[in-house]
Amino acid sequence: MSRTFKNSLGSIKREVVNFSRSQKFYFLIAAIAFAAILPIFLTTYVVSEVLTPMIIFAIYASSWNLLASSGQGSLGHAAFLGIGSFVSALLAIKSGVPPIIGLFLGSLLSAAIGFLIGLTCVRLKAWFLAMVTFGFSVIIVTIFTELDDFTSAVLGFPTPLIVGRGLPFYYMTFAIAVISIFTMYLVMKSKIGLAFKAIHQNELEAKMVGINTAKYRLIAFVISTFFAGLAGGLFAYSIGYIDHSVFDPYYSFLPLMMAVIGGLGTIEGPIIGSAIIVTIDKYLPRIDLILGSLIGREGLIPLFPAVSSVGPPLRMLGLGVFLIVVVIFAPKGVAPLIKKAYNYLSSSEEKPK
Amino acid sequence: MITSGLIGALLWGVVIGCIYILLATGLNIIFGVMKLVNFAHGQLLMIGAYIAFTVTTALGLNAYIAVLVAMGTVALIGVGLERFTFRRVLGADKLNEIFVSLGLIYVFENAAVLLWGNTTYQISSPLQGLQLSLGQDVAISYDMLSAILIVIVILVALFLLLKKTKIGLAMRATSQKSNASMLMGVNIEKVYIFTFALGAALAGAAGALYGILLPFNPAIGALPTIKAFAIIIIGGLGSIPGAVIGGLLYGIAENTAVYFLGATWQDAIAFALLIIVLVIRPTGILGEKGE
Amino acid sequence: MQKKLIIVIAIAIVAVAGIVAGWQLTQLPSAEARPIKIGLVAGYQLAEGQDMDRAAKLAVKEINDAGGVYVDEWHTSVEIELVPIDTENDSPDNSRGPVTQAVEEEQVDLLIGGYTSSGTLTNQKVAIDNRVPYIITGASSSLVTRRGPQANYGGLPEGDPLRVDDAEGMSYMFHYCTTTADYSTTVVKFFNDTMKPLLDSTYGFDDSRNLRLAILYRNDAFGKGVAADSKSIIETNNLPIDIVAERNYPTDAISFQTDLTAIKQAKPDAVYVVDFIANTAEIIKEGQRDVGLNTVYIAVECCEDPQFYTLLGEYGASQLLESKFAPYAGPPYYVDAIGTYVTNYQQANDKLPGMMGADTYDAFYIAKNAIERAGTVDKAAVRDAIESCSLDQMLVLTETGKIQFSVGTDYHEIAPVTFIEQLVWNADAQECRSVIVYPATAPGVGNLKQADFVLPEGYVPGSP
Repeated sequence: MSRTFKNSLGSIKREVVNFSRSQKFYFLIAAIAFAAILPIFLTTYVVSEVLTPMIIFAIYASSWNLLASSGQGSLGHAAFLGIGSFVSALLAIKSGVPPIIGLFLGSLLSAAIGFLIGLTCVRLKAWFLAMVTFGFSVIIVTIFTELDDFTSAVLGFPTPLIVGRGLPFYYMTFAIAVISIFTMYLVMKSKIGLAFKAIHQNELEAKMVGINTAKYRLIAFVISTFFAGLAGGLFAYSIGYIDHSVFDPYYSFLPLMMAVIGGLGTIEGPIIGSAIIVTIDKYLPRIDLILGSLIGREGLIPLFPAVSSVGPPLRMLGLGVFLIVVVIFAPKGVAPLIKKAYNYLSSSEEKPK
Repeated sequence: MITSGLIGALLWGVVIGCIYILLATGLNIIFGVMKLVNFAHGQLLMIGAYIAFTVTTALGLNAYIAVLVAMGTVALIGVGLERFTFRRVLGADKLNEIFVSLGLIYVFENAAVLLWGNTTYQISSPLQGLQLSLGQDVAISYDMLSAILIVIVILVALFLLLKKTKIGLAMRATSQKSNASMLMGVNIEKVYIFTFALGAALAGAAGALYGILLPFNPAIGALPTIKAFAIIIIGGLGSIPGAVIGGLLYGIAENTAVYFLGATWQDAIAFALLIIVLVIRPTGILGEKGE
Repeated sequence: MQKKLIIVIAIAIVAVAGIVAGWQLTQLPSAEARPIKIGLVAGYQLAEGQDMDRAAKLAVKEINDAGGVYVDEWHTSVEIELVPIDTENDSPDNSRGPVTQAVEEEQVDLLIGGYTSSGTLTNQKVAIDNRVPYIITGASSSLVTRRGPQANYGGLPEGDPLRVDDAEGMSYMFHYCTTTADYSTTVVKFFNDTMKPLLDSTYGFDDSRNLRLAILYRNDAFGKGVAADSKSIIETNNLPIDIVAERNYPTDAISFQTDLTAIKQAKPDAVYVVDFIANTAEIIKEGQRDVGLNTVYIAVECCEDPQFYTLLGEYGASQLLESKFAPYAGPPYYVDAIGTYVTNYQQANDKLPGMMGADTYDAFYIAKNAIERAGTVDKAAVRDAIESCSLDQMLVLTETGKIQFSVGTDYHEIAPVTFIEQLVWNADAQECRSVIVYPATAPGVGNLKQADFVLPEGYVPGSP
């Protein structure tokens, strides 16, 4: 056991060393530096309401992505986002536990529940697992609202900020995100990750080559739900208030959309997906207003007389269409397309004469 | 303690169960023949309700004729869905089917919001308010009776179609072994289109009946889908009698639980049942056919 | 080669960011006359939010057409610019962002609106921290003004997470709305003062028989709040009312047959329904049409909306509605301002107004009045002016006949008058209309009651 572990470590080390010499590495450093410096020039609103959610959902989407890379497409991930949120916030508020520790404990509890739920799911096929995970999210939100005396889930309650709003919170979240996503990257690149891929491709064949599919599926669940809970705690702190709405099905579909649109199975996919969807979320509704001032005060309303606010449903419909289009025409997501575009641009510069 | 209240809840459970049966049967057929998982199936129910509502209010048609119109229209929508979205992801990674159907949920739900608004409507039926007294302070409305009758008629028609017609034979052959039936000269593509349209038509009927009995809005599609899946899992994937029994049991159990425990636990209990079944028998109670 | 490309792209983006930041700096408010920006916080998807939007647009148009708001500091009148703040479903996540954007980027001078309690408790934090006056016209929880140090926290103990220790910030919050205690009080008093005596005399009940009340409510803060308040008011005042059934259902419930059947088993004299328009209408219909629960139903004031009357159809006949704004109880109206508002609203929108809009409409006039009395848009001065408001009541009636915000334990709340209406079938409109049946009088209005309360046709009292 320990020898395979040492071998894994060794192979990871080699991977990391190889990577650090590659072009991708410089790209990564540039991206991190960019993400770290850019916020200084932007308003507090953009940093705290646009960039910070992007980072938090990048963690969340990455956690879902890790689970999906093992063939387990969960439709109930909001349960873990919510558990992480509530546990972190409740501990911080009611027991005076330092919020950072609360964050960690929330993630642990989320992983523990993830382990239990994972146990029920290990032998299930993809679509059954999807339903069961959705079912669990419904059960969990019902429990939380019924135990309102302990959880205050119905009316909700404010959460502490930990550090100052805006840049300090952003940097704290950013640091946590880098560590989290890097950890998930290591897992996915290791033998464990290879096992995930094998199970996803063909579970029967994976079993035949001796992979203990149940064990690896469970590992995927635990790691994934740990980071989902972590994202949940950050989510609760960033909004400043938590209530049962964190368990809404929308938050179960969000990481799915982000990971799939960005690029399922890749490490950069969920990050890109998060950036795209948060941008759409925050800025698309304003298009209705912008169009309104261009076309005339009514904007798109005359086209849709039944609704008074066209932006939000149009945006959600757009997201649905976007997801379908990506799955049908670009099943590997947007990330590979960006890579292609980048390669095309940089290689055309290098065209030999 | 059989009270009139409990009987009333049971009757209502039977009616709701019938609507679930229609929805589950449509899902069953599609899964049985195409091995396709469509989480947006409940959205077809919702669209069926809205179409029935639109033809009754705009054209003044009888609510029960509207059921037929809804069936036809939703069947056409089903053909479009099959052709343009599902056909392209069929057979590959199962997860892709799930993703596409999730996207469709958002598309349908928000299209309904844009077209009809968020208002809650209900289809007015000519039989509204009329009740049949069964004695002992128990009554059943004629609308409820009609719904049960219509479901029975549809199921019988479906049974005949599957057993006695050529296309039904082709469908059954495909559900057993699609490769073998292709060798036998069955046009798989046509079968798929027909199957999906049929399943969609059933969902449309379920929706139109739903709209007569209950108020509806764009969001009603989500939960019935999950319940339909639960029913066919419990009843056994691909088994139509299983879906019938499952649907009735489900409707009754759900309403009885609500009667005694209150509605808050309704959904949670439904899912708990589903989860327990799946854990004990990962392939469902009656097992899968043609897997 | 690729490295250079990366660096070029990075520099380009940083440059763009810098330009954007610089442009933002030039958008800071100047000391010259400019339109007054008032943000309307509402969920535009919901019927209530749309009503608020229309009411706001009507108020803003009226004010601007009449010359705008005179700001002494600038020696001129300026227009009001309405800034829509769409909080969609008003969940904490969706309500905070838009309000933050409006306060921090748009630099609104004042906020009006708010819909759900949890959404408002979340988004008001932004206004509290940034010292922006916020006239809250929604949110049934009194905590929106009572979570600060003033008012002894309205009962919030030390360590309660909902406490806000910022007295200065909380002073900017105003609650121009009824609270769950307000409407529960009226409903319960109606049952005690009017309904019980009528039942006793009609059916020969002994005076010692308590009125049998069933409560059916949605399982969220709003529903639970009303149910809890009703029970505590009954208990505190020792009223002769028994709660014979208490049932709740999840907020996304769409059919209530089973709950109604269970309530029917308990044989109530009346059913208090606590939910919004669609569900309440459905409950009242299902109760009579499907379950045979032929009792009298009483709905809460948020159902005072055209959609409610449409959905109910003839099933609304003789049912009750607790309200504070009654566009259907007339003409002639109990207060002239209502007639004017209804006419103007109908002209502008081709439909009748609802209740949420009424609060919103008044709030814009409160804001105008406060800015004019303060002579400036300086937020602290405007806040002081709102606190000392003494306008005559407009669409919402108050106990004193004037709009006045308390500085006592019911901090920054008004003392609204709520009343009970009974619906009557109107053959011309093919819908129900309403008449006020309780209380008899209201300050500043005089005679309020328009008709006596009658028991519905086919009414079956609870037993024994």
